[in-house]
Amino acid sequence: MRLLMWWSGRALSSAATLLGVSVLIFAAVRLMPGGFAETVLGPFATPEQKAELATRYGLDQPVFMQYGHWLAAVAGGDFGISMISRQPVGAELLARLPVTAELSLLAVAGSVLAGVPLGVLTAVRARPGGGGAAGRLLSGLGVSVPEFVLGSLVVFVFSRYALGLEIGAWVPFTEDPARNLATMVLPAAVLSVFAVSVTARTTRDAVMGVLVEPYVTAAVGRGESPWFIVRHHILRNAAAPVVTLLGTIVAYLLGGALIVEHVFNLPGVGSYIVQAVGRRDYAVVQAGVLLAAGVFILMNVVIDLLVGVLDPRLGVTAGRRS
Amino acid sequence: MSLLSVRNLVIDYAETRALDGADLDVAPGEKVGLVGESGSGKSTLGSAVGRLLPRTARRTGGEVLVAGEPVFDLPPAGLRRLRRRQLGFVFQDPIGSLDPTMRVGAQLRLVLGRGADVSMHLERVRLDDPRVARAYPHQLSGGMAQRVAVAMAMATSPELLVADEPTAALDSQVREEVLNVVFSLAADAGTSLLWLSHDLPAVARRCDRIAVMYGGRVVEHGPAREVLGKPAHPYTAALAGSAPAAAAHGARLEPVPGRPPVLTGPSPGCAFAPRCALAVDRCHHERPGPVRVRHQDVLCHRAGEVTA
Repeated sequence: MRLLMWWSGRALSSAATLLGVSVLIFAAVRLMPGGFAETVLGPFATPEQKAELATRYGLDQPVFMQYGHWLAAVAGGDFGISMISRQPVGAELLARLPVTAELSLLAVAGSVLAGVPLGVLTAVRARPGGGGAAGRLLSGLGVSVPEFVLGSLVVFVFSRYALGLEIGAWVPFTEDPARNLATMVLPAAVLSVFAVSVTARTTRDAVMGVLVEPYVTAAVGRGESPWFIVRHHILRNAAAPVVTLLGTIVAYLLGGALIVEHVFNLPGVGSYIVQAVGRRDYAVVQAGVLLAAGVFILMNVVIDLLVGVLDPRLGVTAGRRS
Repeated sequence: MSLLSVRNLVIDYAETRALDGADLDVAPGEKVGLVGESGSGKSTLGSAVGRLLPRTARRTGGEVLVAGEPVFDLPPAGLRRLRRRQLGFVFQDPIGSLDPTMRVGAQLRLVLGRGADVSMHLERVRLDDPRVARAYPHQLSGGMAQRVAVAMAMATSPELLVADEPTAALDSQVREEVLNVVFSLAADAGTSLLWLSHDLPAVARRCDRIAVMYGGRVVEHGPAREVLGKPAHPYTAALAGSAPAAAAHGARLEPVPGRPPVLTGPSPGCAFAPRCALAVDRCHHERPGPVRVRHQDVLCHRAGEVTA
């Protein structure tokens, strides 16, 4: 019963959030300076040509009518037609999703494999008063270097000097896995710099918080070894904030690593949206942002479920006595 | 030979001195009550027995011997072995000292090893409801959680159990039950007990000997009946005379007017002198050394002149 209530509550609030996002993005796209007609027809188009184009795409209707049509279509699974490529937006997004998913997976795997052990190690090894400064500086640097700076730098270095990894020569994974991975490693690494830094930082803080808990002192008092305590008592107790962070990173990346995909010329969701914004391709931008928002909302539900499994005090069914 | 021997132990936190030359002995099988106000250093002393002090703590001087082994000078592996075989700890916060993400049964199995009889160990602390093993700590009452903690601490039949105010966080009805469990398990296993408390009469009822702490030192140490009945240190006299029966049960007592000291370095004289009715000039400038009065070891220049 409690579970049912929880799920229906989550479904309702998720729907409300998505609806809000849809209004915002629909309005935002129409508030962008320079209309679709100007972009498509160029600066010398006559008013008649523009009007004709507007009528063809229904852009002459009142905005709330356009919104209503679009929302009804989206609810039925139809995201519209790209005004540039004349292809269905849903199909194009779906075709590009694997690239983005692979990129996200690689970046997140990197941050889990490097960030979590780094955070645990630096927390367990931390000495009172001293230390931590170098780590803070490094992670601060990793968090604050913008992706486009790092991405451009990497693209420059690797295209200027033959270092064995190709830039911009993407091939599908199914065609040539090795070459595919070779082109994905660099953008994934660029995304990882940020993700590893925050993951390490968050893990360290979480572990430091758990280390002073009385149950850890109790385990030390029982004569358990440090790694036994880390494995059995610390990892799971410190996991909630890290899982929340990683989930958010996954959601952020799945919505399209806009800049990195664009810089590395990867045919993912991100570069698709960046192009669409540049060309005022309304339907694509709307669908892309809605997809990102949907992934975010879904990921938040997943995070809540995971955190509840990890810590029974926070679970969906918490409070129910056995 | 003493099982536990604390010699002139000095422990500092960043700016404050928690222990200012503490001495304490516990013989095998003995039940010792360590009594003092909050801030007297009793928790620091209890934790120092297993070197379980917070990371900010520093041992400035003295030593702790458990079964002859110097706790502060053992290599990590030796220290772990000592904690595993000789020592057990029970803390103030019963639910906090259990891992919140593990069921009680799983935690006990982790301590006891695979295939251990969890229900037998729970029955030993009089938890025979089978639901306890399946519960998470937050689903237990404080008294139940503390009995689980006692079961875990006593699972290995340690030689010395340090119980740091194990009933401070509990309702008054369950306090006696938990104490009964602790004392009967300790008696069965021949475990020595170091029970930290602020309640002198309660401790005197159950313990063989009592050590009274003030200002980071053990100021009086002797047989329970003597310490309670004929205290030799003015501070103990104040503690013993402050008629707890008159106060609400479970309330913290303020036996002596004034506040306990916060030391930043070695106390120049007797730390109790500012609150002491018997203090003379010498008490403020000269650290009292141990003197023997009747059956007690006392740190006081005027010991022997005290009448409770």
